[in-house]
Amino acid sequence: MLPLLAELAADPTTTMLLADSDSGAIGIAFPFVAGPAVFAAVYGGIYRYYRNTDKRHKFEKETEVAVGNLRQGDRRVGTNNRQKSRSMSGRNSTDHLTRVRRIKVP
Amino acid sequence: MPQWPGGAQQGDKQQPQEQMLGDDAVAGAAEAALKHSSNRIIDTSSGKDDGLNKCPRCGSSDIHYSLTAKALFCSYCRHTWNEENAERAFGLDSSIAELRGHTMASGTADIREDLTTVTLKCQGCGAEVVINVEQQLQARCHWCRQTLSINTQIPNGAVPDAVLPFQLTREEAIERIDAFAGKRKAFAHARFKAEFVPDNVMGVYIPYMVVDGNMHAVLRGTGEVTTRQYTVTTGSGDNKRSETYYDADVYSVQRAFDLLVDDLTVESAERFDIKDNKQATNNILGAVQPYDTENAVTYNSNYLKNFTSERRDLNVRDVDDEVENRFLAIARAKASPTIGRYDRGVRWEEEGVAVRGTRWVSVYVPVWLYSYADSAKGEGSLVHYIAVNARNGNTMGSVPVSHPKIFAVACAAGTVAAVIAGVVGFGWFLMG
Repeated sequence: MLPLLAELAADPTTTMLLADSDSGAIGIAFPFVAGPAVFAAVYGGIYRYYRNTDKRHKFEKETEVAVGNLRQGDRRVGTNNRQKSRSMSGRNSTDHLTRVRRIKVP
Repeated sequence: MPQWPGGAQQGDKQQPQEQMLGDDAVAGAAEAALKHSSNRIIDTSSGKDDGLNKCPRCGSSDIHYSLTAKALFCSYCRHTWNEENAERAFGLDSSIAELRGHTMASGTADIREDLTTVTLKCQGCGAEVVINVEQQLQARCHWCRQTLSINTQIPNGAVPDAVLPFQLTREEAIERIDAFAGKRKAFAHARFKAEFVPDNVMGVYIPYMVVDGNMHAVLRGTGEVTTRQYTVTTGSGDNKRSETYYDADVYSVQRAFDLLVDDLTVESAERFDIKDNKQATNNILGAVQPYDTENAVTYNSNYLKNFTSERRDLNVRDVDDEVENRFLAIARAKASPTIGRYDRGVRWEEEGVAVRGTRWVSVYVPVWLYSYADSAKGEGSLVHYIAVNARNGNTMGSVPVSHPKIFAVACAAGTVAAVIAGVVGFGWFLMG
């Protein structure tokens, strides 16, 4: 084993490989990421299929509701440039169940 | 000491210790509610006195709900009938847009916890029968064998405004529960598999408040629209990096609209609080909704015979915060289609509803319920439910799992994934 390692170390291509850019070295991390990720996904998936802890009545979509007199007031207030994320921070437009600051409506 | 049939001989001097409750009590509760606020009470009482609840054709009191006929069934003359639709009978289907203030059906009146027993006077023979109204609403007269019922709305939460009768038969429910658990055998807990007997399913009436609401909602927040997307490359050679950036316009967003909410259901028994899964998997009971509460019929105690029913123990003021939260959630969901142009999303920061009018009705909804608690864990162990909505057959449940089995399979899958990723990663490494 040791002579093999020594031989590898002596090989100029090995030093090239080890000193290579990060993109190649990331490959080494693949199994350490994929293994635990699949473990967690399988564990969580089976558990949820059996226990259904996430199931609830989606009342906000299934209740019969009529909407009328819609008034929109949208006004441009500025810019937010050079953002790395595709979506804005703190967006909650799809999260209907978390409550935000309550205002008194006349 | 029971009174002699006919009533007069022995019982004259003894006053019944329990309070006789009738329409007066309901009227009192209604008046009290009126004093506290400008609430309007709709009287949904049947107009019958406590005691005999007779077949409209032959006058027998031997009546039960037949699942094959889907109707009340007189065992004496075989007459079948259903009570009137509650919404139509009490005008609960009037326009929601015209609702102002709080309108409450009389079955939603505040609960009196001290009311545990009621004395019924048998109209057949005059005997007085004490009935534990926490447990049941019917009793046999021990003298003349007639069935005596609580027909008035006693204020202990046991009598709703309306009942949604069972549609699915017991056999259909067992089939569904069996199929549900059958699909979840492989990783189920061994003791659950050994002890699973779907025939133990019970027909249960669960109390719900059905709320209509007329309101105005206002939502305020911030939204962003992408104006430019570009890639910036820095460095050169091996250190070359490229990153994508987004420019956006920021908008202050406001939506104001009127909402008419029809038949929002909210649990009104503390034991079945869907947010509390500590003792039992209550979220399952919520998940089998919706119920067609518009088809509920006026209360008749014979609908509850041969089924168990959970008493309502939450008042309107106990659930009104939850109802307001649900109104807000509905408002947020309804605003979604109007904010499509904000491709980076909207962050709602303020919200509120001005409720112009609500209408509250208490309804019993039917559920076929299979419950399982691990026998080895004894008292206080989590109760797992498998529930079938007895109106439309929606089935949902919780099956206890064997953690070692899931662990083993997840380990195996993780190992396979790691090996595959190792091969791919090594290839990547060599090519990189």
